[in-house]
Amino acid sequence: MSMNFKELVKDFTNGLWAENPIIRLVIGMCPTLAVTNTASNGLAMGLATSFVLIMSEIVISIIKKLIPANVRIPSYILIIATFVTFTDYFLKAFFPGIAASLSIFIPLIVVNCLILGRQEAFASKNPTHRAIADGLGMGIGFTWVLTLLGIIREVFGMGSIFGFQVLGEWYRPMVIMVLPAGAFITLGILVGIMNQISREGK
Amino acid sequence: MEKNSTKNLILTLATIGIVSALILTFVYEWTTPYIQANQAETQRLAISEVLPGAEEVEEVEKNGQIFFEGFDADGNRIGVAYQNSGGGYNGMIDVMVGVNLDNQEIYKFSVLNHEETPGLGARITEAEFKSNFENKVFGEYNVIKTPPSKETEVQAIAGATISSVSVTRIIEEAVSTITDVYGGGN
Repeated sequence: MSMNFKELVKDFTNGLWAENPIIRLVIGMCPTLAVTNTASNGLAMGLATSFVLIMSEIVISIIKKLIPANVRIPSYILIIATFVTFTDYFLKAFFPGIAASLSIFIPLIVVNCLILGRQEAFASKNPTHRAIADGLGMGIGFTWVLTLLGIIREVFGMGSIFGFQVLGEWYRPMVIMVLPAGAFITLGILVGIMNQISREGK
Repeated sequence: MEKNSTKNLILTLATIGIVSALILTFVYEWTTPYIQANQAETQRLAISEVLPGAEEVEEVEKNGQIFFEGFDADGNRIGVAYQNSGGGYNGMIDVMVGVNLDNQEIYKFSVLNHEETPGLGARITEAEFKSNFENKVFGEYNVIKTPPSKETEVQAIAGATISSVSVTRIIEEAVSTITDVYGGGN
């Protein structure tokens, strides 16, 4: 039992740091670069992706034995697309503000390779309770990096965090930080810093 | 039966497809009323934004098109709003334009729906870009990349020239639709 629990904790914390989808595995770059121009966009995108990831991992880990290997990828995509469409309708109905600011990037979660990648690498090979731990860890790992990127870019690009002005009138916003180039620069520096930290930890 | 037989592959995908379609049908049924209510609310807010001071708004159909006429507290018509759409950078942009027919000026415009890139084209909804058209005379507008020096010049959003031009064309079209029907004033 305690072994089992340790295993679950390891599955969960794996996504937070050791195999963090963005800074370690460097997958799911489309939303990472595209919607992290503000902190709230990053957070909302992270949560929407996490929901789809966890739900798909649960379903796929349950029905994995029923899916023939030859059609596993289209089957996964169908399941993922179902949850993405659900998320899209749900946000449009109950959170129209978030739906409007993320617009086209919600449907694009279907092709986020983080989600398909975790189905192939984890959910299709492990029992459901471990898939839930993996989905939670990967989802939170994805969300915190997206939010951090959003905070950094919003501070430099607009002088605010979550829409609240934190830098005064004197600050002249660096437009490049909210443009796509700013995403590459911020992500590169962040990955560099993270690598440095984990190297020192060894 | 072999697991990877053609029959089994077709069955698996068909089953997942049918279950998925069933679930989404229910989700669609459940969320559509809320989505429509949100859109009606968005339209109502957009009309009251682009017709400042309008106490009463009336929907009128002329030449097969829907116009929204705004009246002040005394029942005088203060302006007309019209919703127009056009292609943007990623998808369709829906814009509500309110005009003052008496002095041939645009009051304001408001973006109802768009799929432009967040942080770039999506800034067509921000006050800075909107101010380009506030109380502007009717006419042809030029989109430029520097601060405007003439009234008919519109400053493009940095990194989103296509979105800026699209919105400008949609507004021009809306104004000409209104003046075609209303004759451009008294």
